[in-house]
Amino acid sequence: MARLIPLTVLAVCLYFWFKSRRAAKAGGSGSSTAGSARNKNVEAAASLGLLPADRLDVEEINPPSPERAAATATVRSGDWAAGAAYVEEAGRDWYERDRRISLLAEAAVEDDAWLLAWRRERPEDPAAAAVHACSLVYLAWEIRGSKQARHTTQEQFASFHRVLEQAREAFARAQELAGDDPTPFIDELPLAMGLGYPHEAFERIWTEIEKRDPHHFSAYGSGLQYWCRKWCGSHEAALAFARRGAEKGRPGQLLTLFPLEAYFEQESYESDIEPQEFYNRPEVVAATDAALADVAAAEQVLDARDPRIVQTRHLLAWMLYWQDRYEEALAQFRLVDGHIGCRPWTYSGDPKARYTKVRDYTAAEVLKKRG
Amino acid sequence: MGATLRAVRALVLLSGFYLLGLGLLALLGAADWAVVLWAPAAIRIKVLIVSVLLAIPVVRGMAMLRTPRDEEPGGVLVTEADEPRLWATVRELAREVGTRAPDEIRLTADVNAAVTEDARLLGLLGGVRRLYLGLPLMAGLDEAGLRAVLAHELGHYVNSDTRLAGLGVRGRVQVGRMIELFHAKADAKVDKERARQERKSEKRIARGKKAKEIDTEGAGVTYRTMARIYSAYGRLYLRSTTSGARRQELAADLAAARIAGRDATARALRSIPAIDAANDHYLSSYAALGTDFGLLPARGEVFGGLRHLLAARADEVAGLCEELPDEPASPYDSHPPVAERVARIEALPDDGRATEGSGPALGLLTSPEAALGAIEDVSLTPEAQHMRRLDWPELVHEAMSARVARGTEELRAAAGAGAGSLPALLDAIDAGRTWEIADRLPKSEKAAAATGRAAREFARPALRRGLSALVTDELLRSGRARWELSWTGPATLTLPDGTADALPAALDAATADLPDTGPLRALLSQQAPLPL
Repeated sequence: MARLIPLTVLAVCLYFWFKSRRAAKAGGSGSSTAGSARNKNVEAAASLGLLPADRLDVEEINPPSPERAAATATVRSGDWAAGAAYVEEAGRDWYERDRRISLLAEAAVEDDAWLLAWRRERPEDPAAAAVHACSLVYLAWEIRGSKQARHTTQEQFASFHRVLEQAREAFARAQELAGDDPTPFIDELPLAMGLGYPHEAFERIWTEIEKRDPHHFSAYGSGLQYWCRKWCGSHEAALAFARRGAEKGRPGQLLTLFPLEAYFEQESYESDIEPQEFYNRPEVVAATDAALADVAAAEQVLDARDPRIVQTRHLLAWMLYWQDRYEEALAQFRLVDGHIGCRPWTYSGDPKARYTKVRDYTAAEVLKKRG
Repeated sequence: MGATLRAVRALVLLSGFYLLGLGLLALLGAADWAVVLWAPAAIRIKVLIVSVLLAIPVVRGMAMLRTPRDEEPGGVLVTEADEPRLWATVRELAREVGTRAPDEIRLTADVNAAVTEDARLLGLLGGVRRLYLGLPLMAGLDEAGLRAVLAHELGHYVNSDTRLAGLGVRGRVQVGRMIELFHAKADAKVDKERARQERKSEKRIARGKKAKEIDTEGAGVTYRTMARIYSAYGRLYLRSTTSGARRQELAADLAAARIAGRDATARALRSIPAIDAANDHYLSSYAALGTDFGLLPARGEVFGGLRHLLAARADEVAGLCEELPDEPASPYDSHPPVAERVARIEALPDDGRATEGSGPALGLLTSPEAALGAIEDVSLTPEAQHMRRLDWPELVHEAMSARVARGTEELRAAAGAGAGSLPALLDAIDAGRTWEIADRLPKSEKAAAATGRAAREFARPALRRGLSALVTDELLRSGRARWELSWTGPATLTLPDGTADALPAALDAATADLPDTGPLRALLSQQAPLPL
């Protein structure tokens, strides 16, 4: 018996030593070697002037816009006419009109007294109808909550579906009033995705969108989600859809972002894809180069903080990182650092960790190469 | 195996249960003794406490060995003078089976027939024989089917099954109880552990951390182990007695087929589960429809109404007869699966009696109506016996109307004095007070936590439901709507022409964010009463 004790102690020690080694290899934060490498990366990022993790905003992709905040505040105070005017100011810039309608729809989720007044006063107002339809989708998700199904009550599911059905009717009404405006068609796409519209129904909506604006950035964004494997399509369908847009889009319209998104969706969905290999495939590298050229063209026509450019830069940084093109990746990081509320970071349970890991590693590699 | 041998085996198995208990106690005692001698104080106390906790159910189980005292025989006792044809049939069957006829026949309100015998001396001597016969069962069988059922039951007397039943049942009940006792203890432990972990994860959430998955796998392990030991013994017990019990059933089936005919027996076996299911549905959806409001069907119809349901749904019942359960109701069930019993009977050679016609089994009674009334006196609670009795159409209309009226209560209360009536509520909606009222309706936790528009969406279904009830109530009270009985489906509400189609949209409009009570007011203003 007495002889067994030292042996047991030895076995236990061996076990813990082995366990700690495995943790180190997997990049666990508990081990000292991985930890010091991580620290070096953080220092590299800091020396390049990139922001520390605690100053990153994970909700938005841009600093708050005073103009948009003012629009929200005005309608909330009951001045729906100001909201109507704000939408109309966008004119025939359908991308901007859609953004403004979505903003007001968001504002109507908590309190819609102003929207009800608007609809009562102007039952035929296309903007009011579009805001109403769009806000019902947001409201449905507010009721559903973001918890897993088992933490969501029957009552929540029932109300969620009831409100989505209402949204469907509201979109039909808004589309009747829409005229040239593609917005109420585009904003129905997330509903098509959530309610699993059949492909023919999607195509009907898409035809109406293309008639009104064949190069609409947000339409391709929502359409791509619909065609993703996790919603109503497949990896192939999503990529084909994105490529059609990228080929059709003019330089500077940034529809070249969507093939990159399709690749990213595929890699996120499939657990057995090795990202290092996948993102270095020739077609992915070619799509990355196309998007880089498109961003350069967009810089000439769009505002530097235009959400289309910013979103493209975030995904470009991700692709360039995996393609070991660290200088180019760093250039993108420098331009978007600080606000990280979009893909690819938001698909991680801890967006900040994913972002800083990729960015700081990039920074360290750049410094290493520069010597 | 002869009766005596079977009695001895039952006794041995029962004493095995005692031995198992004593053995377990001895084991626990030995563990305690060892711990007191060798283990450090902390462990010693823990082991002692655990062993006492485990010993308690063992001792309790051994002390509970008495089976519950036999209850007073239930049902309505019918003498030979009351029911000469039934008695004659039973006597004739007993003769054919080759046994002494029962001493008593009692009519009951179950879908069942059973024989008992007050055995003496551990079942070695026979006693008073009783035949229990359920009227709802008779309502679903024809005379030939009933003869098969009776022949089956009387067959048990021949084999002395009834006499030994006491001993066998005793052991079976005992072991089952023990297992339940330990499982209940283990479950209580798991619940406690879950509650503890839930409190802990609430704290984690409060501190802004992710909650851990709740895991109660380890809890109650000791109790479960004990339950497992008894389960193992229980399985041994069942293996050695169930096959016997099931053989007895099959033997009784063969006796029935010989006397009542192959096809009548198979048909009866097929029918019983279907009648049982029909009766369950009948009792909950028809007989008890008005009990919440103090209403019952007319005398004789509380159990007798099943006849109407069976007649109206003959096809459905016939369909049920085709799908038979092919598993026993529980592993402790002494009956083999019905499918197996039917298959064995139907495999017998044709006895050429398939076409024997016979009337309904209830026809054997002097007056089925009187009998169905009499069993109400012994089956209904005193409270139920004082309920108002109504004929079926009236019962359905009044009970369903009362349900509708009850459905208006919450909204009336929420609307408060002054707005409780339908016109006042519609005015309140027009005045923009909808959500102030809806906010006072009862709501779930999630709904109560919601604010603004989400809160409104949570309240809308209850509001619409309440308003729908108020409108229906108004139409019923003014004689413009009526509930109609259907023996083939749920009661239907007959509304004035066009109302049924227009009502849903009118309710939607009245409860919309931009409400419009116009369509509802238009519907309510139609004066045409129903043609009755």
